[in-house]
Amino acid sequence: MIEVRAVEKKYGRKQILKGISFSANKGEITCLIGINGVGKTTILNAIMGLTPINKGEILIDGQRLKEKMFDNITFIPDAITMLPGMTIGQAMEFMADFYSSWNQERATELLEFFRLNDTNRISSLSKGNAAKVNLLLGLALDVDYVLMDEPFSGIDMFSREEIAKVFTSHLIENRGVIITTHEVGDIEHLIDKVVLMDDGMVTKEFNAEDAREQEGKSVIDVMREVYQR
Amino acid sequence: MKSYLKLVNFEWNRVTRLFAVLLGITFVAQMIGVIVQANKYVKMADQSINVDLMPKAQFLQDFGQIDFVRVVRSVWFMGPIMLCIAGVAFYIFFIWYRDWFGKNTFIYRLLMLPTSRLNIFLAKLTTILLMTFGFVAFQLMILPLENVVFKSMVPAEFRLDFGTREVIRRVPELGLIIPSSIVEFFLYYGAGLMAVSIIFAGILFERSFKWKGIILGAGYATVAVFAFISPLLLQDFVLNGFLYPIELLLLEILAGLIVLGVSIWTSKYLLKQKITV
Repeated sequence: MIEVRAVEKKYGRKQILKGISFSANKGEITCLIGINGVGKTTILNAIMGLTPINKGEILIDGQRLKEKMFDNITFIPDAITMLPGMTIGQAMEFMADFYSSWNQERATELLEFFRLNDTNRISSLSKGNAAKVNLLLGLALDVDYVLMDEPFSGIDMFSREEIAKVFTSHLIENRGVIITTHEVGDIEHLIDKVVLMDDGMVTKEFNAEDAREQEGKSVIDVMREVYQR
Repeated sequence: MKSYLKLVNFEWNRVTRLFAVLLGITFVAQMIGVIVQANKYVKMADQSINVDLMPKAQFLQDFGQIDFVRVVRSVWFMGPIMLCIAGVAFYIFFIWYRDWFGKNTFIYRLLMLPTSRLNIFLAKLTTILLMTFGFVAFQLMILPLENVVFKSMVPAEFRLDFGTREVIRRVPELGLIIPSSIVEFFLYYGAGLMAVSIIFAGILFERSFKWKGIILGAGYATVAVFAFISPLLLQDFVLNGFLYPIELLLLEILAGLIVLGVSIWTSKYLLKQKITV
């Protein structure tokens, strides 16, 4: 389980996170929803130790982040994190070189699933294909937790559909996923847990299935209630 | 250790193009320098002796023999060396900033590798060292070759021959990059390594705290340099020359090692606790 406890973060004088707390379980898809600038990306960066926090703590399976844990948790940011001069194949080699959790079989499977060519240079990829490569590099790791930042942002409809398919496949099964988005429509039916954020705080945390079954509300219905009050 | 070596290999591969270009420029410019300088002298001798009918002995008395040291002191020779030094100086900064800038933010990947973040620092430091030693080794390799070309162009009676070691001894600028003893080697390159570690720590301050980090980084560099030269300052202003030179040297080495250690420790702390993408 990933536990975010009372996390505060300031950039200069501006407080981005104002005591955020939530948890994300293994085997569930937790979606952080909020408009741009509420601190969704900052939380993911903080979980991965890519930005320091001012207060609070973040625990992964009960422990603070250690370098060795990067073989058990991965982050797929909204921009590709490989050198532009590399080919997709070279990027895969890099990952295989450094991560003991790299699963080459799964990487090849994803390469075929996304219909990517491993000889293509990263710098020559379209935004949609770059996002797919980013997903490939993250999901081909045998890790318990996957963090994704806006995987659908600025991507064409067909690529979005392909990426959304990943969420229903065995590639995500049994993993703990935290995904941030402000376009919830693409994956609404796949989300287990929703964390609504506004102004650096959690405004509502609920189970999507419970909301559907007990209150007859979709995630978007609950969002309307919270954001249009 | 394995991850460190892999990172060194990776960082080295990223710099090979720049490295090869600088080696190429050095080789071509220095060879042109040898040819131009030798030709200039031979033409002058030809003009004086064969056209102006000056006796050879008179010419040698007036203009002297040419030696390889004169060639080495020319801009054709020192220019590329300065360019390589500038290249290394530029790369000390670029080796970090290239991972942050542009739309492909590779620093995410580096910081998420399942290895100590200190290995990233050490790999970049090692790459700068390898680059520097690479340039020096290349210069050492081509010096005798250039000397051979020089000798083949100037007749024996018009030139004064020096071996590579003597050439380096007679050109102090060359002696700085190619030390003549192992002690000098460790002193010069140890000081260089310390300087690079201070700059790296300064860069990491800037990357961790942005604008405030520039002030913190500059402050850190000032304190580090002051700590390094503190034995010299003490000797001159407090102890009035009380220490023997060897004692002063040992204190300087100690101060350098402390500054190097603190810079590495500070960088490790910043990379682990304060760095932000």
